[in-house]
Amino acid sequence: MEERRVHPDCINASNPYHECVDYCFRKIAEAKVRMVEDEREAVQASGSSGQSNTLASDVAEDLHHENPKLEAGSDSDNDKPAEEDVEGDFTKLTGRQKKLFELRLKMNEARKANQTAMVAEKKRMEPPQESRGISKQKWLEERKRKIGKLLDANGLDMTKAFMLDTQEAAEAKYKKWEKDPAPFGWDVFNQKALYDAYKKRTKNVEVDLEEYNKMKEADPEFYRDASSLQYGKSPKISEDKIDRMVKELKDREEKRNSFSRRRRFHEEKDIDSINDRNEHFNKKIERAFGKYTLEIKNNLERGTALPD
Amino acid sequence: MMGSKDADPSLGYLTRKDTEVKLPRPTRVKNKTPAPIQITAEQILREARERQEAEIRPPKQKITDSTELADYRLRKRKEFEDLIRRVRWNTGVWIKYAKWEESQKDFNRARSVWERALEVDYRNHTLWLKYAEVEMKNKFINHARNVWDRAVTLLPRVDQLWYKYIHMEEMLGNVAGARQIFERWMHWMPDQQGWLSYIKFELRYNEVERARQIYERFVQCHPKVSTWIKYAKFEMKMGEVDRARNVYERAVEKLADDEEAEQLFVAFAEFEERCKETERARCIYKFALDHIPKGRAEDLYRKFVAFEKQYGDREGIEDAIVGKRRFQYEDEVRKNPMNYDIWFDYIRLEESVGNKERAREVYERAIANVPPAEEKRYWQRYIYLWINYALYEELDAGDMERTRDVYQ
Repeated sequence: MEERRVHPDCINASNPYHECVDYCFRKIAEAKVRMVEDEREAVQASGSSGQSNTLASDVAEDLHHENPKLEAGSDSDNDKPAEEDVEGDFTKLTGRQKKLFELRLKMNEARKANQTAMVAEKKRMEPPQESRGISKQKWLEERKRKIGKLLDANGLDMTKAFMLDTQEAAEAKYKKWEKDPAPFGWDVFNQKALYDAYKKRTKNVEVDLEEYNKMKEADPEFYRDASSLQYGKSPKISEDKIDRMVKELKDREEKRNSFSRRRRFHEEKDIDSINDRNEHFNKKIERAFGKYTLEIKNNLERGTALPD
Repeated sequence: MMGSKDADPSLGYLTRKDTEVKLPRPTRVKNKTPAPIQITAEQILREARERQEAEIRPPKQKITDSTELADYRLRKRKEFEDLIRRVRWNTGVWIKYAKWEESQKDFNRARSVWERALEVDYRNHTLWLKYAEVEMKNKFINHARNVWDRAVTLLPRVDQLWYKYIHMEEMLGNVAGARQIFERWMHWMPDQQGWLSYIKFELRYNEVERARQIYERFVQCHPKVSTWIKYAKFEMKMGEVDRARNVYERAVEKLADDEEAEQLFVAFAEFEERCKETERARCIYKFALDHIPKGRAEDLYRKFVAFEKQYGDREGIEDAIVGKRRFQYEDEVRKNPMNYDIWFDYIRLEESVGNKERAREVYERAIANVPPAEEKRYWQRYIYLWINYALYEELDAGDMERTRDVYQ
């Protein structure tokens, strides 16, 4: 690889094709001058405000005064790119300053350890919500935020969120709106419908994890096999659980009552029955044979058959 | 001739003479023309309807003391027993009887009615359901358990019974019991929904390891593509990418020749894309395309092209698109080998790709389709084919020998 004429301090140093020219050197010199001025200001500012940017709060009082000095010193030292200045840093640290440095290191580590422990504990406390992988709520919130940002970028309102969809996404949405035909007649209680009904009922189950864990400890055969002899035995069930079950059953029964809807009564339809029972019978027979006898009926109404 | 007084005992004190219907003597019809106003059928029906008398109902009686109650109950019981004697096979009647007994709070009698009904028809799952529900609603938990147990032993293939039994145990908080019932059910290898409900149950209590084990058994029991995909998606949801990949790999091993392997490959490739492993995804697509006969690979092709558009470089994209067009052309030329236009397009495609071998191959095949009739226009195009071939050989391949061959 050939040597490029790039000064490490040049702002374009990261560009692989850049080669420093006079302009670059001038800029570098200016930048250096500016940095020196900034440091001087920083030293004065930190000297007055004390430990605005130091570490954990349990630092001893006598370290107050030495901190700003050390910081300023180390700042100015770190700015110089040359290697030898770092070693110079170490030689400057004498006795007390060395101890201070070590203490700072320890405090840093302690702080980090504290943070990780805090995070871990928080995680441990939280699991019930995030147990099934990425929680749906969080994912939804994230999406909302992203969409919000995009909308703002385009100057749109939340109500016009659909404008962001691509054509394919929009088509997929339209497809969802087309409901597949609901089962009717004898197919109403098909396997899928029963399973869905059961799934809906499981939403009523209130999962009490503490009680669950308690039961887990109490029972040595908690994860039973099918052939276990504990079949049928159960822990003493509290009254409120039984009441809850009964209540759910009653709710289900009410729902069941509204299962079939009452059909409209067509008054304009011709009366072809003498009775309510007769009417019911006629309805059923119409259902079965209506489409075949339609022509015959029309002929009778007209009085004559059509020559077809 | 029967004596008019004593022959017919059913008439009681009336004689035959009295019960005879006295019609007017039929006289000869004088006027045979139709009446000016005819009555219609609808008119008759309407009149019949209007002249309906209201239903006669027995008067409502209030029961005031226990003797009256006992009387009422006796009467009702007699009615019900008569009914079930008449129509023994009608479950509705039995259920009404049992429910009435329940409403009278006489549970022993109710239970006996239920048992008799079950004796008539134990295969009727609605009977079992209603019976167990009655026990549950009246808080007889152990009775209910007995009923459910018998139901589930006699009719193990009726999923509804299992669902409701397990739900009862879960609502009561007896999770271990519910688990045991689930296990029992799984021994019968129910369909997918049964397994899925078991897995959901375990996940409700955050038992991820057990859920995983159940998934293993599930894919053994139903070795279908959809079950494997569900398993892998579950692992993804748990955030276990390695396990998910493992699952997909096992699935591919087992089901590479399955009917629905296409879906599996698509799902696998999507998974790799989501993990940002484009190389692996590409490999999967290629493998899948090789493996699956062209007829069923439509969806796969589309997804592959989309994927390449997203991630691939230009060559990859071209390759994919060319592959797709190639496949289309193969289809078309198979259908009408005499359609020279298609042959031309196909040749043009191959030339554009620059793959000499394939171009040559296609030319040979095109030429092999000698036109059937001695019609000029067929032959015209045929000759064009030859000429094109020759030119191609001359210009692109630069191979003079071959050109000479062709001219022959």
